[in-house]
Amino acid sequence: MEYTQKNLANIQTSFSKDLKDLSHEQLKEKYLGKKGLVTEALKEIVNVSAKEKPMYGKEVNTLKAFVEEKLSEKVQQDREYTSKPKIDPTAPFDINEKPHLYNQMLSLKGSKHPLTKEMEKILRIFSSMGFDILESRQIDDDYHMFQSLNFPKGHPARDMYDTFRTEDGLVLPAHTSTMQNRALKKFGPPPIAVVLPGRCFRNEATDAGHEHTFHQIEGIYVDKNVSLSNMIATIKTFLERYLETDLKVKIQPAYFPFTEPDCEFVIGCPFCNMTGCSTCGHSGWIEIMGCGMIHPNVLKEAAIDSQMYSGFAWGFGVDRLAMIKLGIEDIRHLRESNLNFLQQF
Amino acid sequence: MRLSTNLLRKFTDINVEDTKIVQLIQDHIAEVDYSHNLREDYKDIVIAQIVEKKDHPNAEKLAVYKIDYGEKEPVQVVAGDKNLEIGNKVPYLKIGAIVPYSIIVEQKPFVIKKINLRGFASNGMMGSARELNLGNDHTRVMVLPDDAPVGQPFAEYYDLNDTIVEIENKALTNRGDLFGILGIARELTAIMGEKFTSPDWYLNYDKNLKPEDTCLNVKVINDAEAICPRYIALALDNVKVEESPVWLKSTLIKCGFKPVNNIVDITNYISVLTGQPLHAFDYDKIISNDPNTEDSANIIVRMAQPQETILGLDNKLYTLDQETMVIADSTHPIAIAGVIGGKETEVDESTKRIILESANFNKTSIRKTSMRLGIFSEAATRFKRSLDPKQCLPGLLKATEIIKENDWGKVASEIIDIYHEKKNEVTIIIFPKKLNTILGTGLTTEEIATILKNLEYRVEIEGKKDNVWIKATSPSWRKDIEIEEDVYEDIGRVFGFNNIPIKLPQREITPPQKNFIIEIKKSVREVLSNSGANESLNYSFVGIDSFKNCNLDDNLAYKIQNPLSPGLSLMRTTLLQSLLLKAKENLDRGEETFVMYEINISHLNNFVGEDKLPIENWYLSCLTTDVKVDTTSSPYFVAKKYLEKVFRYLGIENIQYDLISESKELDLPPHIKNILNIFEPNRASIISVGGIKLGVVGEIDTSIKGNYKLPEYSGAFEINLDDLIKIKPSSKRYKQRPIYPAFTKDLCFEMPIEIKYKDLENKVTQILKRENLWYKIECLDIYSDEKLKRKKRITYRITASDFNKTLKDSEIKEILLKINKRIEKDYENVKLI
Repeated sequence: MEYTQKNLANIQTSFSKDLKDLSHEQLKEKYLGKKGLVTEALKEIVNVSAKEKPMYGKEVNTLKAFVEEKLSEKVQQDREYTSKPKIDPTAPFDINEKPHLYNQMLSLKGSKHPLTKEMEKILRIFSSMGFDILESRQIDDDYHMFQSLNFPKGHPARDMYDTFRTEDGLVLPAHTSTMQNRALKKFGPPPIAVVLPGRCFRNEATDAGHEHTFHQIEGIYVDKNVSLSNMIATIKTFLERYLETDLKVKIQPAYFPFTEPDCEFVIGCPFCNMTGCSTCGHSGWIEIMGCGMIHPNVLKEAAIDSQMYSGFAWGFGVDRLAMIKLGIEDIRHLRESNLNFLQQF
Repeated sequence: MRLSTNLLRKFTDINVEDTKIVQLIQDHIAEVDYSHNLREDYKDIVIAQIVEKKDHPNAEKLAVYKIDYGEKEPVQVVAGDKNLEIGNKVPYLKIGAIVPYSIIVEQKPFVIKKINLRGFASNGMMGSARELNLGNDHTRVMVLPDDAPVGQPFAEYYDLNDTIVEIENKALTNRGDLFGILGIARELTAIMGEKFTSPDWYLNYDKNLKPEDTCLNVKVINDAEAICPRYIALALDNVKVEESPVWLKSTLIKCGFKPVNNIVDITNYISVLTGQPLHAFDYDKIISNDPNTEDSANIIVRMAQPQETILGLDNKLYTLDQETMVIADSTHPIAIAGVIGGKETEVDESTKRIILESANFNKTSIRKTSMRLGIFSEAATRFKRSLDPKQCLPGLLKATEIIKENDWGKVASEIIDIYHEKKNEVTIIIFPKKLNTILGTGLTTEEIATILKNLEYRVEIEGKKDNVWIKATSPSWRKDIEIEEDVYEDIGRVFGFNNIPIKLPQREITPPQKNFIIEIKKSVREVLSNSGANESLNYSFVGIDSFKNCNLDDNLAYKIQNPLSPGLSLMRTTLLQSLLLKAKENLDRGEETFVMYEINISHLNNFVGEDKLPIENWYLSCLTTDVKVDTTSSPYFVAKKYLEKVFRYLGIENIQYDLISESKELDLPPHIKNILNIFEPNRASIISVGGIKLGVVGEIDTSIKGNYKLPEYSGAFEINLDDLIKIKPSSKRYKQRPIYPAFTKDLCFEMPIEIKYKDLENKVTQILKRENLWYKIECLDIYSDEKLKRKKRITYRITASDFNKTLKDSEIKEILLKINKRIEKDYENVKLI
């Protein structure tokens, strides 16, 4: 015991001495590396008698913490030491700086991102229709992604959403519907009219038409006597304002666990007058979003009486809508941050 | 789910064009992925017979055939398949015909022309199964049965004057019943306003089946009743395994199944009709592989034991676990229940006796097994959508009937049916008034009842005039019907969503609440994008190298369990990671001067809320870079210039800048601590306003500039917008200015380099304020040179005026004197020049 304790003291002394002479990497190797002095001292614990073990353990851990702390301090000091001379952070410009050094930057062509630009337009329209805005989370939990939306555990429809998960078991939202439960609680009791824009993620291979990262805007409307007829009219009105043209619309059956009835909203292609073009895949129609009447279980989960109230919800991809509107052929351009692309908007 | 309209028409009398059928499915049932009319594909393809065959004298790999295709003269065709014989019937693609395969895979369909192959004219082509889109074999010409009539159009013979419709499987997630053609026929009939009646073999079947000649022993034990509600087995003897007839092959191919042999094909045919998967085991193989029996086949439905294995029909070996349901003999699994059969008991040409299985398995169990083992078979696709146990028996009987009719086998056992029938009908009360409110329709009670009856619901109307309700009992195959809204959907769909008159909702005209974060983001974009900056949006995912290159700690990042690639396996902890990378990419493309920013959320796993989720704040990150600037000036100042543009636009004043190297790390919020190492500590500062620490602005760390090949003149800032909205902007109210003329004076001070510009300015403004003046201070110059050593000179330009009078020269002098006195008092080493 005496020997080992003395050993710890020796390590500390030699470390203090080395601190000045050796580099950060050398120190790390010598003391904390696989065969470092502190590491070896830690292993030594197996040779210490049971009675003295707790004492020794405590001491060796203190030593380790000391070494680590000194090392991180040294890194910081080294950085400051090698850093350039100090500037005066409160000054409007640097010493001897030529005036107007950055005039050229200010005269560059600035731009808003096409997606946020379109998003602003879309939100302005919904806002004028009386919808509140609540932005979506980008990391969420299973409850909001699935359970609160009437996807119990093991539900086959979970497979439809190629969801990313973190190692801690959190979920990257695969749709903005993830926010429905929060919005219903936050803006309830009805009437509730909210749009929920946000970034979504799906684990799928990227190509010109698919991205693992995209933007959606969800909307929910809950009140007494709300009907499917109201839903069609609301979405149609929005799309007509956004695309600035009258539209022919129809809805088709679809399947989502969190709506009932569930539909796909389809518009007559406004670019070819429904005669068929590349935008509508020569069909004359463009599927624009999923929608439907909110499932009573979703309302119940947010403590809203589904006998008294009904509501509708929709969700659409902003990327696709913006691409259609702006004639962007490849979705990947949107997040490439190529200035040649960005400066066009 | 793929169907053929010809097959559909066998079960319903809808008298409309194929295109209309597709549209009706699309508008009333589910999304159609794809539909294709085959008629045109097989134009100019006819049945021909080989009448002459000889070797090609100039080409070893070719043969020269003469074929009769019903015209006066036979034609000569050169082919690569040398195995055809005189008398064989083949599909002949005449000159001008299109190769059907090329219609799908090539942009320009391939048209058959007359060609010359090494001196021999070839007038057309004999098609392989692949070329005809009827299978995968592309090496051999498809040989047709001997009774195929020469000269008959091939499409007519093979039932290809048909339309294929592919319905999106996702859209049928809860509709197992629609995987059978009967289900689609039922819905379409109801949509046309007619009542559908299921065929007798489906609903009113005779379940008495007796062994014909021999009697085979089969024992079935169901040890997994909770997830196998029904299991039926039937043995057949005198089985003739052969190629299926054309009608069967054609139907299966058109519905997306690959023909194998008549027995396997019949099981798949039942699946096409009803959605019910059947399976056929080789009876003798079951017995010979089971050490515990000699004269009886043992079938046990049970959970697999850990580490049990089975070789699937797909020739892959699967290791099972206790959550996998299997069909086993007395010792080991012979099939993975509802998912895939076993190779060991496969039906092949040598098979003489079989056991037909028709069972029902729990959807959740099948889904889990299918996912776990990665087997997405046709059977699993159906079972995981929930099927009706009732149809197990009619499915099996129908298969047996076809086998008997064709003399492919004889019944050799009783029907063994393990089934504890549970009442699985659902009765739901529908109030027409509520239904009309939810849909926005004006349907009468009778109209509603008719729609339901047409879908084979049992319907009772109850109540009186003003208070009427409908008791609707869903048919047993409708596993998706649970609540009244499910029934509303049925009615809405069949009536036609698009027949509903549309009307905007009525509500109070309350305007929405102000969303501060949205508003501030809009303002930031406005000002930055009007100052030459480009907004970017970047992936939230980065790779581990990004943390190394940016001096960041990857332990603070959320890690993705199932990343698309290693480069996308962590969530970025600061938006600057993306901007640095994108700056490099743009520089590589030849850009020289730019300012790029992003407004987004980034995540730190040590910045977590009570709900265990990361706190999501919005950040504004901005990077400035210029290759052309050749100066010793720090890019700190240009980054700060952009930052201050934002602050000024938002009315944020009294901003404090403290060098990183002079700040205590302990008091910093996590998002600031995280990014400190991105900056040069002596050339970057913590930004704070009224005690709130917002972020960092400064020159990019030299090593990071190296990592991303950024020019010397590269700066950046990042601030937290959620913190920024907590700060009250300066008052926007109008302040009156003096009407008296202002004086302008330039003051130049010499001081040690360490003294801060702002500190000195504050001394000046204190005096001006005390004198009750309106004033403005500009900085004209900051100068230093070798002669001054570690000193600098700052020239301030002061413009000021009094609210009550024109200041006389003497009064102005007085003020300047006060300023100078004050500064001399506070600083020993500052002097006015």
